[in-house]
Amino acid sequence: MKGKRIERENFLNALKRFAKEGPGLLLGFERKDRKFRTKVFRKEFDDLSLFNPVFQVNTAIHLRRIFSKDLKIVCILRPCETRAYVELTKLTQVEPTSLICGSTDCFGTVSSKRDDLSFPEKPEDLKTFLENLSDLRYACQTCRHKNGVFGDFGIRIDSDWNFWFIPYTERSVPLYELIEGPESEIPEAFKREEERSKTLFQTDLQEFRKDFEKCIMCLNCRDMCPVCYCVDCLFNSDEYLPKGDALINSIMRSKASEIPKNKEVYHFIRMYHVSQTCVGCGSCEEACPQNIPLTKYFKGISERLSGLFDYVSGRSFEERIPYTTFKEEELDNASD
Amino acid sequence: MDYDNGEKDFINIVGFACTYCAFKASEMAGSLRLKYPEGVKVIQVPCSSRVDPAFVIKAIFEGADGVFVAGCHPGDCHFIRGNYFTRRRIFALKEMFDAFSMRGKVRLFWTSAAEARKFVEKVTKMYEDLKEGKNEG
Repeated sequence: MKGKRIERENFLNALKRFAKEGPGLLLGFERKDRKFRTKVFRKEFDDLSLFNPVFQVNTAIHLRRIFSKDLKIVCILRPCETRAYVELTKLTQVEPTSLICGSTDCFGTVSSKRDDLSFPEKPEDLKTFLENLSDLRYACQTCRHKNGVFGDFGIRIDSDWNFWFIPYTERSVPLYELIEGPESEIPEAFKREEERSKTLFQTDLQEFRKDFEKCIMCLNCRDMCPVCYCVDCLFNSDEYLPKGDALINSIMRSKASEIPKNKEVYHFIRMYHVSQTCVGCGSCEEACPQNIPLTKYFKGISERLSGLFDYVSGRSFEERIPYTTFKEEELDNASD
Repeated sequence: MDYDNGEKDFINIVGFACTYCAFKASEMAGSLRLKYPEGVKVIQVPCSSRVDPAFVIKAIFEGADGVFVAGCHPGDCHFIRGNYFTRRRIFALKEMFDAFSMRGKVRLFWTSAAEARKFVEKVTKMYEDLKEGKNEG
């Protein structure tokens, strides 16, 4: 596989030319006045930052419902966000014709609920700073997909802190060609595959109940989840989440119940529905006002269930999501 | 849902049975005067792949002690390939229940329209196991 070494100057120039000729926009991270933001850039790219150590929402949820054909949007995002973009492309929720979405190497992130940290300027220092930090988000502590190997292109860092731009799909070639500099073979260390966790997630209902006792059913975790996209969600209906008369009816039909009803059902069903596509970004936990350890359950279950089919969400555009496909000869032990 | 491993008097089992095989088998069991426990409530679905695992989860949390999904043998689906999807989904669902230490709650059967005896056997076995508080698949 081939790639190009990039410097900040020539990369920004390439982006500027691309945006001008495209016409195009850039979706990425901005660093200004010691603050990080996610921003859509139009003409001025000077504040662009390839890294964002503060996690707010998974930006892939903003890529849904973009249908413009003439415009090109370059997205430089974290690996987890790019994986969500790949999954949404497979689920036909994102129209990839106008998007070029790539991932950068990620050093881990802290929750946006903290604002007492001031991050160092240079990427080398940022990496050591985050490595020494004890309270990275749980999702980042357990993350095994921190390298920019997902999406249409990747921005990787080699051991000498040189930046590389590596195109993975056809869509990123127009941008790749605008970058000045010689093309060369990428370093060997970039090709290493990350491995799957060997321990299976195991818990029980008592523990689950204890953790989810404080849930207030605000449904923020569903709304902020990048891969939870159904317009007609089950939990918009009175059948699964009864309110008002429907609640009284359901209590008269069966038995007394706490309100809000069906807390456990909600989390169980959502856990199953995102079990193959969950990218483990932890934006559900970030959105939770009650600080429930959602990532532990959702990521644990998704790793266990996608391991059954040897599937990694967001790994490739061609691989089908396991529940939407099958092999005739498999799972002989499925029936009891 | 109360989950404990003690013995229970009455067990509720909800079954999703596909019209063309499993439900026909349960009808045939009736005409053959075969008996299966009265706690078993069979719901007719067009195809076993109609069963969203959400139905199973909801049934279990709203009072059922166990749920089974029954369909045609793989390869014999009336809709050509519906039960291949069921196989993957319910297999994954069982794995998820396993992670919460309650694997015994969900079962998947393949019964053709002629296998009334097998249907009764499987259902009775499930009923007995749940009654004894067994927790394995």
